[in-house]
Amino acid sequence: MSTIKNKYIVVVLLSFFSIASFAQDAKNDLMLSMGYYNNNNLTHYLVAHAKTKIDGKFQMVPDITIKFYINNDSAATNLLGTAVTNDKGDAVLMMPPSAKTEWMKSVKHTFAIVSTATKLYDEAKGTVDVSKAKLKVDTTEDKKVIVTLLELKDTAWVPVKGVDLKVAIKRLDGDLNVNETATFTTDSTGSITAEFKRDSLPGDKEGNLTLIAKVEDNDIYGNLTAEKVVKWGSKFQYVSQFDRRTLFARRGHSPWWLELLAYTIVVSVWGVLIYLIGSIRKIKKLGV
Amino acid sequence: MENLEKEQIVQDLLPQEFGKQGKIWVACLVTLCLIGFAAYCHQLSKGLVVTAMRDYASWGIYISNFVFFVAISLVGSLITAVLRLTDVHWSTPLTRIAEIIAVSAITFASIIIVVDMGRPDRFYNLFLHGRLQSPIVWDVIVITTYFFISLLLLYFPLLPDLKIMLKYKERTSKWMYKLYTFLGSFWKDKPEQFSLSNKAINILSITIIPVAFSIHTVTSWLFATTYRPGWDSTNFGAYFISGAFLVGSGGVLVAMYVFRSHYKLQKYITYDHFDKMGKVVVMLALLYLYFNVNEFLVPAFKMKKPEEEHLKGLFTGEFAPIFWFAITTSMLLPILILIYKKGRRPFPAFIAGILVVIGSWFKRYIIVTPTLLHPFLPMRDVPANYHHYFPTWEEWAICIGSLAGALLVITFFARIFPIIPIHETITETEEHEHDKK
Repeated sequence: MSTIKNKYIVVVLLSFFSIASFAQDAKNDLMLSMGYYNNNNLTHYLVAHAKTKIDGKFQMVPDITIKFYINNDSAATNLLGTAVTNDKGDAVLMMPPSAKTEWMKSVKHTFAIVSTATKLYDEAKGTVDVSKAKLKVDTTEDKKVIVTLLELKDTAWVPVKGVDLKVAIKRLDGDLNVNETATFTTDSTGSITAEFKRDSLPGDKEGNLTLIAKVEDNDIYGNLTAEKVVKWGSKFQYVSQFDRRTLFARRGHSPWWLELLAYTIVVSVWGVLIYLIGSIRKIKKLGV
Repeated sequence: MENLEKEQIVQDLLPQEFGKQGKIWVACLVTLCLIGFAAYCHQLSKGLVVTAMRDYASWGIYISNFVFFVAISLVGSLITAVLRLTDVHWSTPLTRIAEIIAVSAITFASIIIVVDMGRPDRFYNLFLHGRLQSPIVWDVIVITTYFFISLLLLYFPLLPDLKIMLKYKERTSKWMYKLYTFLGSFWKDKPEQFSLSNKAINILSITIIPVAFSIHTVTSWLFATTYRPGWDSTNFGAYFISGAFLVGSGGVLVAMYVFRSHYKLQKYITYDHFDKMGKVVVMLALLYLYFNVNEFLVPAFKMKKPEEEHLKGLFTGEFAPIFWFAITTSMLLPILILIYKKGRRPFPAFIAGILVVIGSWFKRYIIVTPTLLHPFLPMRDVPANYHHYFPTWEEWAICIGSLAGALLVITFFARIFPIIPIHETITETEEHEHDKK
């Protein structure tokens, strides 16, 4: 009897382990990647990206809590902060002021990210190496944009040769290249020169345009941008359309032609009707 | 002999009291109206949430009903104005039928629009803050204008008849006699009065045609000025007007048969009238069919992606049964019936008329609602039932109540006033006799 009991226990335990192992198999691999961003040599932030592969297709993974560390060390003292991935699988962490001391210690840093394990995903890790660099934007009177990429070596900023960068004008929904060349490569002086060929591009009311230079997804420097405001655009004076007589205007501001046409028709037809009501009065008088 | 005939015409055409059938008919209509009114009170207290209209189908059978009423009202201008101006005399006995259909339909078109408003107490804002650029404001203007023109066109030819009815005091009740006195005691059959009245009728006949075209064109523009699959068409004005003339003529065929058989008017509404009216309906049905081919074949040939879902829904999808029912009953079957001489006899013509009217009601539904369920930019995260529309009992009750109301107006009008113009019939008979001599 006890032998049969033991057999049952073994079967149940085996079933449990097999279910548990199936459950573990159901977990997907979480892939983490990270980017370093430096905007205008002022704002530093890190973006972690979480994705997974389901049915042979990559899918973004939201709601994953990610911890960000400096110096590739997941010690609590190196923790920069935590962020949760959004619908696009991105978690953004602005570099906190408390990290300044650590940041100033070295010209190169390795950032690490660690995701918190969930029911669907195990813990995952990722790192990125960053060398400190900055972009400098200068302009000449003949509308040329000179962008220089500098890297911090010990205590000096030195030019960097052979790096691809873009020079564009910031617009509302994206950036517009300053000319037909999409990408420029820095020379031995760490510079590129781009000719501004977007004349009569509308700027603000004083003709201001914002130039932007960008290094994107560079293996050594990450993502760098630098901006400069120039008065190279045409002046844009905002004229309110609110009181203009248009078909889409508010009440009492319809176009003159429409008012003339509509009121002429209404007055004419109702004039006829009033005349006919007058005829009834005349008929009435004749019958009295 | 002539006097006898005249007397006979008067006796035949004077309004008659309701018989047993008439009373049952009125009781049924009043009951339907009361149910509709109760449903409206319920809607008023609970809000438009009692209807099936949601974010997608914001126009349901109320607006279909509105378009139907506006359409059927156009027959007034066709029978009274177009045929009068073209010197067609056979339509004389039908003019008043057409005009009262027009007046009752346009009255209930206005009412049903108010029913469709979630807050009817704010209706006055349409006048205070309406934008002249909006087709809705144009619609309000033309409907009001058309209503007054139809009312005048009903009133002027009625003046000589009022004098005749005042002569037959014994055939009228006290309040009706008072009404006749108020409306037409001043009519003395003076040539100057006839001259003024005829001039007024001619002016009205001319005026009503562009106004009638405007009323339905503007109604079509309520849809066509909106960028949506199925409505984005330059064909809509003509498409609506041809359909309106068809449903109005179908309505006249039905009314002709009912009045003829109920009031024993076989001498006045003859086989010849059914024959000619039947031909008119065939012509209008063919015209409307032509516009339908234009309206559906051209976009179906191109089958642009945003239109595809809408058109397939109509041809083979969710709305296919109603679509093909509407096309068959409003056009194909009436053509098949009325194209043959035997089909233009009173009873088959009456059946054809009923088919036209019922089919045309569903045709309006097909125009209004399926388009709303297939917008160019579908909304996100709406409940699944928003993608379908089936009217609630309140909507059905209100719509049926409004249709009953329109029939009730026609019924009471026929009880109070002669449904066939007495004076015009006498004049035409006399002229006919004179021509014979």
